[in-house]
Amino acid sequence: MVSTSNLSPSTHPLADIIYRLENGGALLPDSPENVMEVVGILKSYGVVLDAYWRNLIYISEHQFLVLFPFFKYFNGEFSIGKLLRHWWHNRINYEFAEYCMKAMLWHGGGKLDAYLDTQEFCDRAQQAIQAKLRGNPLMQGVSKAFPDFLIEQVRQMAYYSVLGQFWRVMSPIFLTLSDRYDRGEIKSIPDVVNHVLQGLVRAADKPITYAVNIRGQEYELIPKSAGLTFLMDAAVPYVEAVFFRSFPFMGTVSYNAQARQIPPEQERFSYGALYADPLPVGGAGIPPTLLMQDMTHFIPDYLHRFYQRTPRGETDLRVKICVSFQKSMFCVTTAAILGLMPFPADTPDPEQRKKNRIYLENWMDRLLESRLISVQVCEV
Amino acid sequence: MLSALIVIPLLGAILIGLLPRVSSSHAQTGAEVPDYSRAIALLAVTLAIFWSVLLGFKFDTSISHLQFVENMPWIDALGLTYRLGLDGLSLPLLVINALLTWFAIYSTDELLQRPRLYYMLILMLNAGVAGAFLAQDLLLFFLFYEIELIPLYLLIAIWGGAQRGYAATKFLIYTAISGVLILAAFLGLTWLSGASSFGYDPSRSQFLPLATQLILLGTLLIGFGIKIPLVPLHTWLPDAHVEASTPISVLLAGVLLKLGTYGLLRFGLGLFPEAWSVLSPWLAIWAVVSVLYGAFTAIAQSDMKKMVAYSSIAHMGYILLGAAAATPLSILGTVFQMISHGLISALLFLLVGVVHKKTGTRDINILHGLLTPERGLPIIGSLMIVGVMASAGIPGMMGFISEFIIFRGSFPVFPVQTLLCMVGTGLTAVYFLLLVNRSFFGRLPVQFSNLPPVQWSERIPGFLLATMIVFLGLQPSWLVQWTETTTTAMLISYPTIGAVGHSLTQKDKG
Amino acid sequence: MEQFLLQNSWWIPCYGFIGAILTLPWAVGIIRRTGPRPAAYFNLLMTIISLVHGFLVFRITLGEDPQPLVIHWFTAADLDLTLMLDVSSVGMGAVELVTALSLLAQLFALGYMEKDWALARFFALMGFFEGAMSGLALSESLFLSYALLEMLTLSTYLLVGFWYAQPLVVTAARDAFLTKRVGDVLLLMGVVALATLSGTLNFPDLYEWAETAELSPTVSTLLGLALISGPIGKCAQFPLHLWLDEAMEGPNPASILRNSVVVACGAYVLIKLQPILVLSPVASIALIVLGTMTAIGASLVAIAQIDIKRALSHSTSAYLGLVFIAVGTQWTDVALFVLLTHAIAKALLFMSIGSVILTTSSQDITEMGGLWSRMPATSIAFVVGAVGLVGLLPLGGFWALYEGVDTYWYGQPWLVVVLLIVNALSAFNLTRVFRLVFLGPPQPKTRRAPEVPWTMAVPMVALTITTLLVPAILQRLYLLPDWTYINGPAVVLLMLSGAIGFALGATIHLNRTWARPIQTPLKFAQDLLAYDFYVDQLYKVTVVWLVDRVSRLNAWFDRYVLDGAVNFVGLASIFSGESLKYSVSGQSQFYLLTILIGVSILGALLTYLVW
Repeated sequence: MVSTSNLSPSTHPLADIIYRLENGGALLPDSPENVMEVVGILKSYGVVLDAYWRNLIYISEHQFLVLFPFFKYFNGEFSIGKLLRHWWHNRINYEFAEYCMKAMLWHGGGKLDAYLDTQEFCDRAQQAIQAKLRGNPLMQGVSKAFPDFLIEQVRQMAYYSVLGQFWRVMSPIFLTLSDRYDRGEIKSIPDVVNHVLQGLVRAADKPITYAVNIRGQEYELIPKSAGLTFLMDAAVPYVEAVFFRSFPFMGTVSYNAQARQIPPEQERFSYGALYADPLPVGGAGIPPTLLMQDMTHFIPDYLHRFYQRTPRGETDLRVKICVSFQKSMFCVTTAAILGLMPFPADTPDPEQRKKNRIYLENWMDRLLESRLISVQVCEV
Repeated sequence: MLSALIVIPLLGAILIGLLPRVSSSHAQTGAEVPDYSRAIALLAVTLAIFWSVLLGFKFDTSISHLQFVENMPWIDALGLTYRLGLDGLSLPLLVINALLTWFAIYSTDELLQRPRLYYMLILMLNAGVAGAFLAQDLLLFFLFYEIELIPLYLLIAIWGGAQRGYAATKFLIYTAISGVLILAAFLGLTWLSGASSFGYDPSRSQFLPLATQLILLGTLLIGFGIKIPLVPLHTWLPDAHVEASTPISVLLAGVLLKLGTYGLLRFGLGLFPEAWSVLSPWLAIWAVVSVLYGAFTAIAQSDMKKMVAYSSIAHMGYILLGAAAATPLSILGTVFQMISHGLISALLFLLVGVVHKKTGTRDINILHGLLTPERGLPIIGSLMIVGVMASAGIPGMMGFISEFIIFRGSFPVFPVQTLLCMVGTGLTAVYFLLLVNRSFFGRLPVQFSNLPPVQWSERIPGFLLATMIVFLGLQPSWLVQWTETTTTAMLISYPTIGAVGHSLTQKDKG
Repeated sequence: MEQFLLQNSWWIPCYGFIGAILTLPWAVGIIRRTGPRPAAYFNLLMTIISLVHGFLVFRITLGEDPQPLVIHWFTAADLDLTLMLDVSSVGMGAVELVTALSLLAQLFALGYMEKDWALARFFALMGFFEGAMSGLALSESLFLSYALLEMLTLSTYLLVGFWYAQPLVVTAARDAFLTKRVGDVLLLMGVVALATLSGTLNFPDLYEWAETAELSPTVSTLLGLALISGPIGKCAQFPLHLWLDEAMEGPNPASILRNSVVVACGAYVLIKLQPILVLSPVASIALIVLGTMTAIGASLVAIAQIDIKRALSHSTSAYLGLVFIAVGTQWTDVALFVLLTHAIAKALLFMSIGSVILTTSSQDITEMGGLWSRMPATSIAFVVGAVGLVGLLPLGGFWALYEGVDTYWYGQPWLVVVLLIVNALSAFNLTRVFRLVFLGPPQPKTRRAPEVPWTMAVPMVALTITTLLVPAILQRLYLLPDWTYINGPAVVLLMLSGAIGFALGATIHLNRTWARPIQTPLKFAQDLLAYDFYVDQLYKVTVVWLVDRVSRLNAWFDRYVLDGAVNFVGLASIFSGESLKYSVSGQSQFYLLTILIGVSILGALLTYLVW
């Protein structure tokens, strides 16, 4: 551990957590129980994400500008049995993936958002639209009368693809984390953070592109030349949109304009995964319930046994999953914070340490109102 | 046949008494020797339910006089006869007595202290109430009426809350006074009419001077008014409810208050029709006072159980209104209201009991967000919504049709009083909505975020009661067919019904 | 077959209730491993069955005499409660409107609520809603109508309270229930009184009775006022109108129904009651006065709203005010006409703003703009809905208002003025909302606004087309006036009023920031309208205060005076203080002993007395 004595003590309310980060710790305190919970939940999250990204990519490639995407959750594999299971709602709730996609689209940010407003993108989108609408005079007419209609849809499709590509990287990171834990290689929360961080760093410069195939012809909507990369243009906007901002839940926040419960500026939105109250999960108007429900099917046995030992056993499974999930998301956030830190955490240079301190304090300002305090003590 | 309803629970009680004593008073050691008292009690009451349902099937709905009569001289010197009989007034009450006793036993905490005594007392209570509903001899009724006090007193005093001693004593004294007054009225009637026995005879009072009748009826009214209870004789009830455990509250509200309203109809209206018709306008006003007083007081309560208790007082007021009007329809309505209030208040008390057991409080200013699905009490909350809506008289449930019949039956006789009582149904919605919205809506507070889970065994009684409430709300004829002949016949000797009713209708039209 | 369908038309309301019951396994949480969508599909299926059954019966009844269906539900003493159903083309037409709109709203909800895990409960309530409404449309018995109105009150409460954890929902649901309940209890008083006076509760018998009944003026006035108060609450008319504003906290698909057919149900009952209301001139005047006050007041309030749902919901109150006026003046066909066209157009408008809310995550129209070119279905739906509502182009709303203007033209010209004012204000308000939401530059929250998915777009487009076809439907039903008898000046005036409203709305300067006027009077006026004339505050200091005080006083009296006196008299205190206190902590034997002594004394006394 590097001593912090050469820096004056922080006056931040979350100073303890800042010191912990500076000393190689994480937002989540280290304990064997926390490690077990976080790894277990990330395992099931990895499985769910795998299903999510496959569907998102499928929709972006094969349901491009389909007006009635009846079978968009089928990933192209149609059978009567699958249809019946689908109708019985015995399936992954892909709606939640779309919900995250909508959050990214709506909150924007990053180079992707800017690129979608460029003339270059509009031209490319227009070509794809023309190709798609060939032989459909009705839709051509609608598209003429409402010129932005389909372009906006293509932008949405782009986000389908980008989120799919992001999760395509994240899912294996979580699954290998679980494998390594099973092999005994992961023993502490910093190990978890480090594993995620390494995964992010490895993929950081991976290019983000998007192309669709219409009638045998490839249309590049986001070419490599746009210069979008994994970390800065997918991961960072994702964390911002999904972990921090997201949308107000209709089940807990009033949309009434005169009541002014929702801030007028999107920057002040704080309804994301790090802020949401886990208690109402399972109830009306709480979309993350869908994710928690999906994860119930894949939690590893050790975690399931751990949950069953709590007073309510199976009945409040989704709330407990949500609590664990928030813990794990603080680990992922730690990885993102460390990955974006201006200088290495163990730098000896006081100037650099000072800048790191300011950087961390800025993060803590944002996390002040989050569930960070609640995950410091163990409360399931 | 009828004695079986008294004998079965008594046999059960004796059987429990004969069981080997488990251990002095510790539940932990009781685990070594299984305790069969609960099972025996449930079995006995189940038999009683079957028996009363069987009676219900064999009951001839076209006959207005007593059926299955048992007559056996007991103490000739006293003029006491063991005479039981069944008619359309007592049959539904008997069924509900057996039914609610079953629910009470079923929802009793299995880790209860001194289970043998407890179940014995409940069975004795059941037997006593059944006897009172069946007795066709004034003195016999009085005996059962008094006997039932002892187990109930003990049930409150031993298994109650912190203030149980005070509440139980208050209950005992109030009800003892009620008993003395009733006895006095019975004795007075028998003596003054020069009869040699205490047999139930509606025609007995007609030779007495009206003033005497009024005094006797007044005594009886106060006696039963305590039991029902009517304002201002009610103050024992909220205390007794708050201190009693949940199953006892269920019985108290669901069955025991009905002894008062039953007595009002059977002995007040039945024995003193002439005096009744003189007093009836005052009784209707008394009903209005009870209804509005109970409803307004309920609004200001923060304890759920007190709220339900005051709501009981208000709902009992409707029965007085219907009885005062004394039209065939209004009397039918009172019987219906007894059953509907029995089921609805039983449901509400059961649910409040579960909330109290899980959260440790009944204060609606502290409880919030109990509908929260995973960590709250969502099903208990949904049943609570059903219960309060039934109590507030939402159609499709029993509360509505019983109140509607009473109002419809009373309006021609006492239009203004009926309208004022209807204000009470609006107020019912106010306090029960406050209850539901405060404690079940909103966010679950932190101190309640780890409530113990609710077992299905705690929900099943609620489900069954709610189903009955809805079913009889949709199919009221099933219940009414038992009662209608009797209630219509009860009014044959009632003098002025036609005259009073007619004159007021005329006034309306004119 | 025909007879079978007719005889079983009482099933039509039951389908909705069956659908509601079928959702229970999911709503109660018995099925937890899989999701709640099957519950929604069951309800959709039941609605379709109900729609088809209703349509077949409608075809049969068209042009036939009504065939009442009588069910003896409850007979006791002199009370005979029959549930009489009106199997006629008007009743079945109303059923068709209800079920069709319910189907579209449910389909819309499938998209709008797709991320809501309590979907089963929502659909259960929608099924309940639909069942109660189709029952009301068929009911020929005041008793049944009353019962169903109460069920609507209950389901409104539960639907508004759907998001029970949201703080404003808690008060909104409570207020919705209690406000409607006030009207319902007064109506119940009227029903009971009417049943006593006339001896029946079936509408045809009541009409017969009303023709010959002679009541004292007081009785008839009180009766009339009691009967109209139920619909006043249900239709959100002054002074029981506040709940509709608050009810906008509920989910939007329910708002679609609430603002179109649910409020119309109250008015439908009022129309059924109209021949009885004739008995009381005061009630008719009250209808006209309250209707006028609400129509103009609510139109003004709507203009000051910045919440997209509330801007439209106050306009609902205003249109229902016009219906009240029509019933008050005994022109029930005008009332039905307005109800029909308003229901369709308003449902469409609410669908459109539903998709705006979902896309922008906002209900604040000052935060919106520029949606037009990106959301074609939504934009067109709003335009068509608006045009279908106001009297400007010859769509439904125009013909309904024309019917009103033409009717009042000679007899009550001042009512023509009311109609024209409401029309102008309505046109102004809708133009204002349209400009703020759909035109102008996009704002941050409307910058990325893709059109909604097909589950929401399809019902929206379907209803758009229906709204455009309303004149054709009216023509088929012979509801449009003959060209040769058309009242030229009325048409001109009506169009002019709509045009003025539109022009003003199109040209007035609109602030996208919540800027306040600087001049005090203007600021005051804006606040007065934005906060609904502060009527809620008025309630707080009157009715609510009174009930609160009385109940506190009562409870105080009960606790300290009455119970205090009892304790003071001391029976309780002596016993519990002395002899019994000892045994409280002790054994049960002591209790038994005490009781036994008591009973033996009584017994001795008894024996002594007898001898």
